[in-house]
Amino acid sequence: MRDTEDGAHALEVFLASVERKAFRIAQIALRHDADALDVVQDAMLQLSARYASRPAAEWKPLFYRILENRIRDVQRRRSVRNRVMAMVPWRSGEEDQQAPDPIAEAADTGPSPARLLESDEILRALERALVALPNRQRQAFLLRNFEGLDVAQTAQAMKCSEGSVKTHYFRAVQALRGKLGDLRA
Amino acid sequence: MSAGMDEAVVTSGQATDSALEQRARALLTGSAENLPGPVRSRLTQARHAALAARHARMRYRLQRWLPAGAAAAAALALLVVFVPHGRHAQANAVIPLINNVAGVDEIELLSSGMPLNTDDVDYDFYEWAVASADGTGGMHESATNAPGT
Repeated sequence: MRDTEDGAHALEVFLASVERKAFRIAQIALRHDADALDVVQDAMLQLSARYASRPAAEWKPLFYRILENRIRDVQRRRSVRNRVMAMVPWRSGEEDQQAPDPIAEAADTGPSPARLLESDEILRALERALVALPNRQRQAFLLRNFEGLDVAQTAQAMKCSEGSVKTHYFRAVQALRGKLGDLRA
Repeated sequence: MSAGMDEAVVTSGQATDSALEQRARALLTGSAENLPGPVRSRLTQARHAALAARHARMRYRLQRWLPAGAAAAAALALLVVFVPHGRHAQANAVIPLINNVAGVDEIELLSSGMPLNTDDVDYDFYEWAVASADGTGGMHESATNAPGT
């Protein structure tokens, strides 16, 4: 029973440590707060239901693999929905009008002292550049650079080889540098 | 930062990050640490929901498998008690079973509360049977030498 309580506490600490970054990763990928919250919650539920008994060292790559799968599911659903809606002429214009602007969504998170210090404008430029990256490059960059996974963990989370991770990451950095320079204010 | 430096970053996989990478990390980390209150609240709720679901799942598993586990343990205990084991298990496989069955009969007899009549017990027969079972005596004698035959 004691082990169970310890395990629950360890899991709670782990989830608390990753939830905000996971939300930002999902938010950047999906450009929609509610969808991002849903995929983070799904990832938490699935990790705690299926993989909580695994060693704690495996949780992070597992969690991000689940998160990436959920993000991809949402993107596919959107893609299908958009294709279907494109075939409905009287709805397509309305949908276009209602489609959220990703940059406006990012700005809606509201100003905070730290954000003001970091400069909203640079952050928005970075988000724009990240959104424009191919999925795999964005995943590699966010998991390696933002979340701090090592190459092996990133490969596990992305379900690919370590060499692929290095390649995606390298290309992501090159693409970001091409758009943003060194990101100096 | 040169392309050569980027190669170094990629191949080493370590923290020789360029200014771009450091700046991007700082910006993204700052934005994650300063999420709006409603979003933080939703994330906390999501975390609690995940932990509650795990707890419920574990309770369900316990309730589901506890009776089966108890039945398995009981079956194992019966096996340990009634199935012969040890070095002479094979040689004496039949006799302990017979003895166990006889033991059950004796328990029933003793627990019935009826007085035991030991006057007409043929003790010679039992001594011969025990000696035969042990193989220490009586086996060289023919079966026709058994008392009472």
